[in-house]
Amino acid sequence: MNKRWKRDLSIGLGFLAPNILGFMVFTLGPLLFSMYLAFTNWDLRLHNMFKEEQLRVVLFENFSRMLQDPDFWQYLGNTLFLMMSIPFSIAGSLVAAILLSQDTDGGSNWVRKRLIATAGLIFGVSCLVLAGAGLSATVVLVTGLAGAILMGGTLGGTTVYRTLFFLPHFTSGVATFILWKKLYNPSTGPITNALRPLLDGVGSLVNGLPAGAVQAGSWVTAALMLALLSLGLHRLLSSWRDGEMGGFTVLLGLSFMSLPPILSCFWSVPPATAWLSAGGGLAALLLSAGLVLRGRNYRCKLDEGLGDGIMLGAVLMVGQLALLGLGNVLHALPAMATHGLETPEWLTQYNWAKPSLMFMGMWAAIGSNNMLLYLAGLSNVPGELYEAAEIDGTTAFQKFWHVTWPQLAPVTFFIVVMSTIGGLQGGFEMARVMTEGGPAGSTTTLSYYVYNEGFTTGRLGYAAAVAWAMFALVFSVTLFNWKFGSRQIND
Amino acid sequence: MRKLTLICSLVLAAAGAGTWLTEPDMSSDVPVIYWATDPNPARIQQVADFHQWLVENGHTTAEGRPKVELRLETVSADRKGVIQGVSGVAADIMDCNVPWYQSIGLLADVTEEAQRYGFGIDHTYAALEPLLTVDGRQYGFPCNVNVMALWVNVETFEKLGMEPPPTNWDWDTFERIGKRFVERANPPGQRQTVFFMNKFEHPYMIRAMHRSLGVSEFNETMTRSGLDHDGYAQVLARIYQWTYQDHIAASAAEESAFSTESGYSGAGLTLFHHGNYGTYNIGRWALIRMRQFTDPPRVSVSHFPYAVFPNAVIGTRAACVYAGSRHLQLAKLFLAYLASDIYNLGIVESADALPPSPAFTRIENYLRPAQYPQEWGAHEVPATGAETIAIATSVSPFVPMATVDRYKKKALDEVMADLRTPEAAVREAARRIDAEIQTTLKESPNLRSKYEEAVAVQEKIDSYRQQGRTVPLAWIINPFHRKYYVSKGWAQ
Repeated sequence: MNKRWKRDLSIGLGFLAPNILGFMVFTLGPLLFSMYLAFTNWDLRLHNMFKEEQLRVVLFENFSRMLQDPDFWQYLGNTLFLMMSIPFSIAGSLVAAILLSQDTDGGSNWVRKRLIATAGLIFGVSCLVLAGAGLSATVVLVTGLAGAILMGGTLGGTTVYRTLFFLPHFTSGVATFILWKKLYNPSTGPITNALRPLLDGVGSLVNGLPAGAVQAGSWVTAALMLALLSLGLHRLLSSWRDGEMGGFTVLLGLSFMSLPPILSCFWSVPPATAWLSAGGGLAALLLSAGLVLRGRNYRCKLDEGLGDGIMLGAVLMVGQLALLGLGNVLHALPAMATHGLETPEWLTQYNWAKPSLMFMGMWAAIGSNNMLLYLAGLSNVPGELYEAAEIDGTTAFQKFWHVTWPQLAPVTFFIVVMSTIGGLQGGFEMARVMTEGGPAGSTTTLSYYVYNEGFTTGRLGYAAAVAWAMFALVFSVTLFNWKFGSRQIND
Repeated sequence: MRKLTLICSLVLAAAGAGTWLTEPDMSSDVPVIYWATDPNPARIQQVADFHQWLVENGHTTAEGRPKVELRLETVSADRKGVIQGVSGVAADIMDCNVPWYQSIGLLADVTEEAQRYGFGIDHTYAALEPLLTVDGRQYGFPCNVNVMALWVNVETFEKLGMEPPPTNWDWDTFERIGKRFVERANPPGQRQTVFFMNKFEHPYMIRAMHRSLGVSEFNETMTRSGLDHDGYAQVLARIYQWTYQDHIAASAAEESAFSTESGYSGAGLTLFHHGNYGTYNIGRWALIRMRQFTDPPRVSVSHFPYAVFPNAVIGTRAACVYAGSRHLQLAKLFLAYLASDIYNLGIVESADALPPSPAFTRIENYLRPAQYPQEWGAHEVPATGAETIAIATSVSPFVPMATVDRYKKKALDEVMADLRTPEAAVREAARRIDAEIQTTLKESPNLRSKYEEAVAVQEKIDSYRQQGRTVPLAWIINPFHRKYYVSKGWAQ
């Protein structure tokens, strides 16, 4: 038995050996070496086979320099900003997966509808060309494309759509970046061309209205901010009272939610609206404090429901910030529209370059592996659950909310973890090809920074330190997800 | 499954065998050296010429064949070259940035061979010395030389009823002509599609502009940034004005609206040819592409506009010998070939920038190439500029030039995006460069003594200047300040 066990072990190890060896030589070895590098002053200019200067262990000097480097913080901010697209792209993947899991080949009714729509589009395009509007290439392109997609679906069924959605993922990155550069062309790009008539319309509308009427919109957005804050507070306090959230969770959620009203004191235009959001916010917080002091019926741990609390706080914070920005835009709109509203200079304007890359990243992520994972997840949802829900008379949304979404929780958790890791590590190729990290470093991500420091400046030790800081960040976020996200899944 | 595995294995084996059998014979009975350079088709002819030159100059085997075989390795020399070099596997000859590569220790000293074979510094432009030597020792020789300037499409100006710009001009003249040009070229009320020049992007033009106000990236001894200066702020403010207020130069968005291509001149030269740009910031190598147009435009050349001190920036694609080469002596022969007539004539004819030897810029083939009369009159400007007003880039041993360029680019970007005022942007750029110098010194204690010596000299220079005394020229390392001091009469 012992002899046989040894023989089996050696055979097993023999099979595993190439993989283990490869892993140790090409992954584990370099990994450990880069960790060592992070604590040294290795600089290509000073330490190489032609130089005699000794490599020095500098302990945490590289990390300390990194924390004092304003570039690091700017690029970390850029990376986090670009990661704000992750929730939207995950939601997009889910919607795409749900749509693509529908049986569209089933009935002749579907085929008939699509054929009619295609014929309508072809007729429409012909009319536009005959009327001389065919010059507008974008209109012809978009309608023609829509016709082709509908026709493709009629002939090839869902497979065609699934392939189309997955296309961005298996197309070479550089090719898609160049394509998007064309789309973002500030003069002839289809995005700009599509937006131009819309902005012209808005411009005319704004110019036709009294400035005060448009600017009053900033008061509405301030009120909406307040409403969002109140909604969040209500949800937090209810959960706290019912023992679903601990004191620490509530505090953390509150700090996220109260950030926009605080910022509105500095950013709001006109400043008077800040009184509404900030003053209202303060009143809501005081009210909440009063309710907390009255105590609750069910007790729980301090960090109970932390994942939910942070998610709620973060979502409401983003929503409030968007409203704050919208309010400021509404206030400035009459002045901006005086000479007509200009389309953005997508990749070359400091404030637009990042959102432009973010939007492109979102497009690529919607039809990525996330969508495939959701498709697989959807096929594993037991049909009986839907049948039971139908017997109970649920609506389509209720079915989704109470059956599909909870059943997909493990998949969502995996996707969130992987997207977060990818988001923190990514952005290099995109920025390198489309903007070279500019303008003024607005699209330089941490991975781009590592590349610059390592291969342009030659400071390998410092670059390794930044790379390990990125790892620490990824690891912490993953750990957090694991600890608090998985709890929801197990529930 | 087993069958599938077997089929896959057989297919892979067959493909491997096919590849091996169709590989050209790479064996050679003489030593082989590699030249890491750009993928320019002209390199093939240059390799053939090198082999011919070896035979003509007696560097042959007993059978009368070249005693070394040169092969091309077309890689990006900048980053890949460094990584290959420090790993011990770089090509024997590399096109490279001498100060940067030498600071890493990758280059072989060629001073003695340069004297023996006749490719010393005295065989090329004097202004190139800081780009080919370090501490008095030579490490490379130019493959070609560039003096960037504004190339002018004369026909575009004629169509607008304007004279082409002068060879030398100050900022105000540049602004006046530029404004008149864009006003005449663009119908009112329509999107501007014609610009006086392409985007302000190339570091050479910006460098020439701030140098014209006496501002360099570094002080006289290269120990401190010199960019925190009102002159540099003025340059950034002018660029902003010419781009966004006067619309003389295309903005980044306007340039990207024309085309999304990039790389070697991108679509810029086509736009220049079509009249979308009246002038184009480039070197003489632009003619390689312009000659391929069906009706090449008539061109003239103007130096970059100056404020007070006229100057131009000289650069080079220098060939260097890798210190780790197994054929050091044979590789050094290649540098001798670069100084030869056959090579210089090749550069003259192909218009691949300026030939390494200035003597070849005075021959008829260079000045008035028979096939290209539309270029007559243009070739003199970069050539005379290289010998009169051109100054090499100031490269400090204490901070990589790529880092300096990055901070300069960031300062410009910040001003163009209204993120900082020009004054704040130049202050920040200088602060960051000074911080980089301190980081280098911290990482490399061996450099500290050199730095401290230079700082002591700098103090003496500052003291002499305060007293209004002339400064010994030997104290000044920065090539810009050397020339500037001489022109101002501040140097002994």
